[in-house]
Amino acid sequence: MTFRRALSCSIIVSSVATFLTVVARGNELTTGVESSAGSARMSAAAIDELKVKFRRPTSIPFPKSNPFDEKKKELGRTLFFDPRLSVTGSVSCASCHDPNIGWTDGLARGVGVTGVPLPRRTPGIVDAAWLTALMWDGRADTLEQQAAMPITAEHEMGMPLDGLTKRLNEIDGYKSLFEAVFPGKEINAKNAIAALATYERTLVSNKSSFDRWIDGDASAISAAARRGFVVFNSTGRCNKCHSGWRFTDDSFHDIGLRSEDIGRGKFAPPSVTIMKHAFKTPSLRNARMSGPYMHNGSMKTMEEVLDHYEKGGELRPSLSPEMKPVKLSRQEKDDLLAFLKTLGGPPLADKGPELP
Amino acid sequence: MRVVRALIIATVMVLSSGPAYSAEHTLIMHHMELEEITVPVRVGDVVNFDNRSDMTHNLYVTYSDGTVDNLDTQVPGTQRKLTLRVAGPAIIKCWIHPIIRLEMEIAPKDAPAAP
Repeated sequence: MTFRRALSCSIIVSSVATFLTVVARGNELTTGVESSAGSARMSAAAIDELKVKFRRPTSIPFPKSNPFDEKKKELGRTLFFDPRLSVTGSVSCASCHDPNIGWTDGLARGVGVTGVPLPRRTPGIVDAAWLTALMWDGRADTLEQQAAMPITAEHEMGMPLDGLTKRLNEIDGYKSLFEAVFPGKEINAKNAIAALATYERTLVSNKSSFDRWIDGDASAISAAARRGFVVFNSTGRCNKCHSGWRFTDDSFHDIGLRSEDIGRGKFAPPSVTIMKHAFKTPSLRNARMSGPYMHNGSMKTMEEVLDHYEKGGELRPSLSPEMKPVKLSRQEKDDLLAFLKTLGGPPLADKGPELP
Repeated sequence: MRVVRALIIATVMVLSSGPAYSAEHTLIMHHMELEEITVPVRVGDVVNFDNRSDMTHNLYVTYSDGTVDNLDTQVPGTQRKLTLRVAGPAIIKCWIHPIIRLEMEIAPKDAPAAP
């Protein structure tokens, strides 16, 4: 073979290889399966398999011990917006879980009847029907247990349960509302809390563009968001805890934030080191893109949050083994942010009822 | 030689003494669930908790008398052994993932062995 012929063959082979590569990459790109930095790749089949795990459920789970009833829900709604449930008559559940601010208060740390800043940020309550552990430290197993906690907490609503029973019995308008739901029974705190829990279970996030993409609308989210989905589920390691359709597995982790608060460590035996400084993984649905973030509201921007996970948090014995430093390119971060924005659907509105 | 023979006899006696014999069971930890042990378990039996999931777990067993045995933190691919202490219904849960829950009935030590 002469040099010229060998060169020609080489050029042809090289051209064919380049053509095949371009075709292959074109297929990947048109199906949106490659992250921008190229480090996080996933086949179309793998993405389809993954998408199944993010499908929304079709119905709300209500416990047998507190089944759904429309009038009970309405009673719970009225109670939720009524500040007379607090000892001072000035703070309702909706004061901190404000529908106009994504059912939170937008503060780094909540404030209740005494004006003393609470130790932790007000958690969101949308999609609470599916929670398997409630409160930042998981000290409540059910919404019925949880609903009583802020009502009775000194710095939140400060109302003892017997005080709540007395207060509700003093409001004439509640007599018919309770009678319609609990016929022949006295008005008491227990039934009020059952109604509150029922209302809270009906607070379900609206479908977002991400859900439409999961349902099969390929153009529902941008190419950047699709790349962000891949980063989220691969190199970013976000799915290690923020998994499933609610983007949380309700797990508890020490993510290495500097804080004196030991979280779930208060309830676990001292030998369970991994629960010290552990807090519940929050849902990312409808996450306020303006912050604040983390259980103590210590981070103001999502950018700051991503930087924290890149560094991996403060090294200490309780640090979650899932907290491994990750390296994300600028493009990957932008893609992740684009993806997170697709998790916010239209606001879930409730202007509140007329109080009795 | 006599000592060895004595040891063999003792071992055979322990193994053949029926109810007093302790069995070992493997309980497999999947992603967010525990695979149920399908044979009866008794006080004194050893359960080998095998983390075959891709995440870290930290299980604990609450016995019928309210006492708790904590297993250590288990990263994927690790095993921990626990000797069951108290007869009656027991609940196995995970400190990290409260959604994980498995109920187990522990028979007394002298209950008939699993077939």
